[in-house]
Amino acid sequence: MEGLAQDILNGLLLGGLYAIVAIGLSTIFGIVRLVNLAHGDLMILAAYLSLFMAAALGISPLLTLVAIIPIMFAIGYILQRFLLNRVLGEEMEPPLLVAFGVSIILQNFMLMTFTPDARSLMSDLSLMTFALGGNLSVPVLYLIDFCIASAVIVGQHYFLQYTYMGRGIRAASDDKYAAKLMGVNTQNTYAVAMGIAIMTAGVAGVLVGMTFTFYPHSGPQYLIIAFGVVVIGGLGSMKGTFFGGLILALAQILGARVFGPGYQLLCGYVVLLIVLAIRPQGILGRG
Amino acid sequence: MPNQFTKVKWIILAALTAGLGTVPIWGTDYAMLFFMLFCIYLALAQMWNLLAGYSGLISLGQQSFVGLGGYTLAVLSSYYGINIWTGVGLGGLASVLLALFMSLFIFRMKGVYFAIGTWIFAEALLVWFSNWAYVKYGSGLFIKPTNELSMEAIYAAAFVVGAGSVALVYILLRSRLGLGLMAMRDDDQVAETLGVEVFRSKLYCFLISAFVTGITAGIFYVFQIFIQPYKAFAIDWTVKLVFMVIIGGIGTIEGPIVGALLYVLLSQFLAEYFSVSMLILGGIAIVVILVAPKGIMGTLQEKLGLEVLSPRRF
Repeated sequence: MEGLAQDILNGLLLGGLYAIVAIGLSTIFGIVRLVNLAHGDLMILAAYLSLFMAAALGISPLLTLVAIIPIMFAIGYILQRFLLNRVLGEEMEPPLLVAFGVSIILQNFMLMTFTPDARSLMSDLSLMTFALGGNLSVPVLYLIDFCIASAVIVGQHYFLQYTYMGRGIRAASDDKYAAKLMGVNTQNTYAVAMGIAIMTAGVAGVLVGMTFTFYPHSGPQYLIIAFGVVVIGGLGSMKGTFFGGLILALAQILGARVFGPGYQLLCGYVVLLIVLAIRPQGILGRG
Repeated sequence: MPNQFTKVKWIILAALTAGLGTVPIWGTDYAMLFFMLFCIYLALAQMWNLLAGYSGLISLGQQSFVGLGGYTLAVLSSYYGINIWTGVGLGGLASVLLALFMSLFIFRMKGVYFAIGTWIFAEALLVWFSNWAYVKYGSGLFIKPTNELSMEAIYAAAFVVGAGSVALVYILLRSRLGLGLMAMRDDDQVAETLGVEVFRSKLYCFLISAFVTGITAGIFYVFQIFIQPYKAFAIDWTVKLVFMVIIGGIGTIEGPIVGALLYVLLSQFLAEYFSVSMLILGGIAIVVILVAPKGIMGTLQEKLGLEVLSPRRF
């Protein structure tokens, strides 16, 4: 059983990272009823932006978040306001396919601009750990991921719960027409919601880039992780998203331990398919 | 005169089909390659259209069947020395079995969940095959024909699935099943009340689409000779199909024909710049969804009433 406790600890911390990867997808699905298939690619775009900013200015990737956050908010806002809002309607397929198109454009744009080489956001934190006693040690980077992810998710929750804009977004999500009658500009509200979702994706992208290597084609892999978290945890619940992230991360890390590292992703997918088959609304989802 | 128009229409269609079928006789090698790819993409696109355009099943996991069809062929031909065309057929059969297994999970999901469920399946297969010693991990397998194969024979097979897929969808849609499908597409609850077996109809379409996609992929890999998990199970397959069908016109039989032709033309012009061609395809598809959501053929039908292969009997 050597290292089992360490694996579980790593899995729990990684779960926080998965939760922030998913929160944007979950938010936008809950509010706009849109599956943003470009979610993962936007994350990776943020990672590349951070890479170049950090290199140009000689600063830590974490500091680039100051610029990444507003840039990603703007990208999300523009994407929703000028593209996705136009295809929103009764049917869910047209926006799904538009997002799919955006995803393909982003992937190939990144492939042309940034070359297919593996990249990572290196910093002094990359290899640091601190010992917990026993054989346990905490990788500092995983701990930072977990803390930032938690802060962003809790922050978003309070924003949606207690600010004027947040209430407007929730109103538009509950009943679009009633919200319009009450004077909510739903077009703008949706765009702000997407801005926030893509902003969280940007933070997630920088954290993922600091923790793992990434390629122009890494987006779909994280989209599937995000989708998995949403499926396991149920939609639109903050607790569910955390819970989903933990389950998926633990399934992957323990799966890798039992079957070998090549099967890490596969174990995640299998857990996901089982959950989908048994409880399509998610483990914590409402009936 | 509608009757005269019908007659002329069928003559033109027959002439075009005959022309396509006899490319090896009158065409150059390049023309043969071009129309072979056209036939293969046509069959794949027609099957995606059958699912997305008529059955309301948006699959983002057609690459599962492409990969399994290709790998079945590769394993059977290089490990067991089985005849290549038998291998292609068994690849189709393997795809049907996979589709049956998948349906246990994903037929409980609706709409967008179904789309992503199919995609997760494909990704899981990709990871599995690239970690599986039996199929030589990610480095791939060669397809070894038992006897010498001519390009003409491969072309003939591609033509059969290309033209066959159009005929199959046409016949299918004019059958009882097709009538039920169209009722379902308009309102599945009303259709169910009127006795259409929604679940079973959708399942049949899913299985048929898996079979044709599996054998078409087999023929493609007979031509390619070499198969790798990262190519065979790549989402790129579905990307291409979605764009062909959206641009050509989703939910029309002619749409995939136009879309496949445009795609093969575009990819020939931009063969050296794969990324650029995908970028352009993505852009065109978004513009089409925004401006003419019914695609080229769908818009023509609406504006001019031009319907060459009508699924309606009346």
